[in-house]
Amino acid sequence: MADFTNNELITAYLSRQIREDDLCFVGVGTNGRAFTLAVGMPLAAVRLAQLHHAPGAAVYWGNLLEPDLSVIPEHFTQDTFTQWQAAACPPDTGVKCDMLARGRFDVSFNSAAQLDRYGNMNITAIGDYRNPKVRLVGSLAQPEHFAFVRRPLLLMDLDARSFVEKVDFITSAGHLSGGNSRREAGLSEGGPALVVTDKAVFDFAEDTREMRLKSLHPGVTKDAVLAAMSFVPLVPETIPETEPPTVKELAHIRSDIDPNRILLKV
Amino acid sequence: MKEKLTTLESALSPIVSGSSVAIGGSLLRRQPNAAVRQLIRARVRDLTVMSWAGTTAIDLLAAADAIRRWEGIYVGLFNYGLAPNFRRAVESGRIEVRDFSETAMVARLRAAAQGMPFLPIRTLFGSDIAKVNPEQIRTFDCPFTGQKLQAIAAAEPDFTLIHGYAGDKYGNVQWPVVRDTDDMDQPFASGAKRLIVTVEKIVPHEEIKKQPSLTYIPGNWVEAIVEVPYGAHPAACDTLYDEDDAHLRDYVARSKTAEGVKAYLDEFANALPDHAAYLEKCGGLAALAALDVKGRA
Repeated sequence: MADFTNNELITAYLSRQIREDDLCFVGVGTNGRAFTLAVGMPLAAVRLAQLHHAPGAAVYWGNLLEPDLSVIPEHFTQDTFTQWQAAACPPDTGVKCDMLARGRFDVSFNSAAQLDRYGNMNITAIGDYRNPKVRLVGSLAQPEHFAFVRRPLLLMDLDARSFVEKVDFITSAGHLSGGNSRREAGLSEGGPALVVTDKAVFDFAEDTREMRLKSLHPGVTKDAVLAAMSFVPLVPETIPETEPPTVKELAHIRSDIDPNRILLKV
Repeated sequence: MKEKLTTLESALSPIVSGSSVAIGGSLLRRQPNAAVRQLIRARVRDLTVMSWAGTTAIDLLAAADAIRRWEGIYVGLFNYGLAPNFRRAVESGRIEVRDFSETAMVARLRAAAQGMPFLPIRTLFGSDIAKVNPEQIRTFDCPFTGQKLQAIAAAEPDFTLIHGYAGDKYGNVQWPVVRDTDDMDQPFASGAKRLIVTVEKIVPHEEIKKQPSLTYIPGNWVEAIVEVPYGAHPAACDTLYDEDDAHLRDYVARSKTAEGVKAYLDEFANALPDHAAYLEKCGGLAALAALDVKGRA
């Protein structure tokens, strides 16, 4: 078995979720580990999909539609955003919002301060909304992603403070209280599809829509996963191992996509 | 055409305590920070502020205790973390918030531009954003299909403040052909009642009229235009200069406490008579030129 890092494992796993002709939304923000989760691994995963099995997969990044992923910038100050070449740069962000609401996006990459058993997420406030313990950033287009994107992929490090029984504030409605509650509230089918963490992958049960342990990363135990969550997800009797990256995928990541370890740095 | 070129002080003097103000820019681009520092100097209070992805402009106003209520999609400092002063003010109850997701905020701006009381979306079913705000987000049945929709109240600020690239003395503001478009400044301008713009540079009308399709804010809509070089500093103006990393780090460090940021505000706003003095305080135009991007016109 080839040697690989956790970030390479996650990137390869994410890339296999991307199908030919998928349009994928990737955000622009932050730095450090949050950058790797929100920007680095998603961009690397879509590029890997393009090189490996989905040449028609496309990215909407910031307000650039189909930026040239063969030359991903190596540092991200404002001018790098401005100069990145792309197929299209619509006149304002409202165009992206229209595309979201019309269901043009297949995949989004999301992360949150809190995520609960039913995949509801919170990036607005910890504690009471009117009198918060921590005021977070607000909402951005995260509600749109869960409302309109066909297969939102959550990308978060497993942590008991983030994986909670019930979010303090539902910024984005996931599977709400499970079962048919999402449809009954007026939302379409869909909602969060997978939760990819540093230790394991989760999906949501077809009937109850509860979060379910889907695979464990190589070397990670079920107990280590449960110890890093504030609720107990559904746990099937046998849990497969997350499929490791192939030699070919690793070669693409290391030689073609991220040779200087910018995207998968931390 | 009517000449609208004036000073920052004169342009902003109609904005008094209790006004509602929409503030343009997005993330670290084109935050109208020079105008915000003038509002802080003028000791304006109790503003209702609306924004897209607000960063420095909103956090500076929050630090000065100038905001009573905020409505928008985001306030933070992008890759510099949460907005420390906005966060402190919301957590202490001094700022009341109304969150809107992106399609909701787009609906608010387009409704205002069309003279409509609301526009519908179908994003926020099941979201607490709708639950906590029956004042501005209401469910109704589509008259054609019966489908449930959400009406989002128009954004109707008294004033709209936008920082742009270049304009003429008549208030016509143009964007460059290649720029970062991840913002909503044009829709904010389209729905404005009293629109005040600052620009990096005033250029002759002869330049503007050669390429009228680049005019995204027609002077016809504008009440006042002011020239403020580096007017978004310490944020960026895409195509002209980058964000000032050292200044932003210092701001974040000093914002750890209310006393720390008060000293910052005294130093960079209250103690200075105008924007020219701010530029001198930041090392002058020669030092600020270090932020300029390659190929700047």
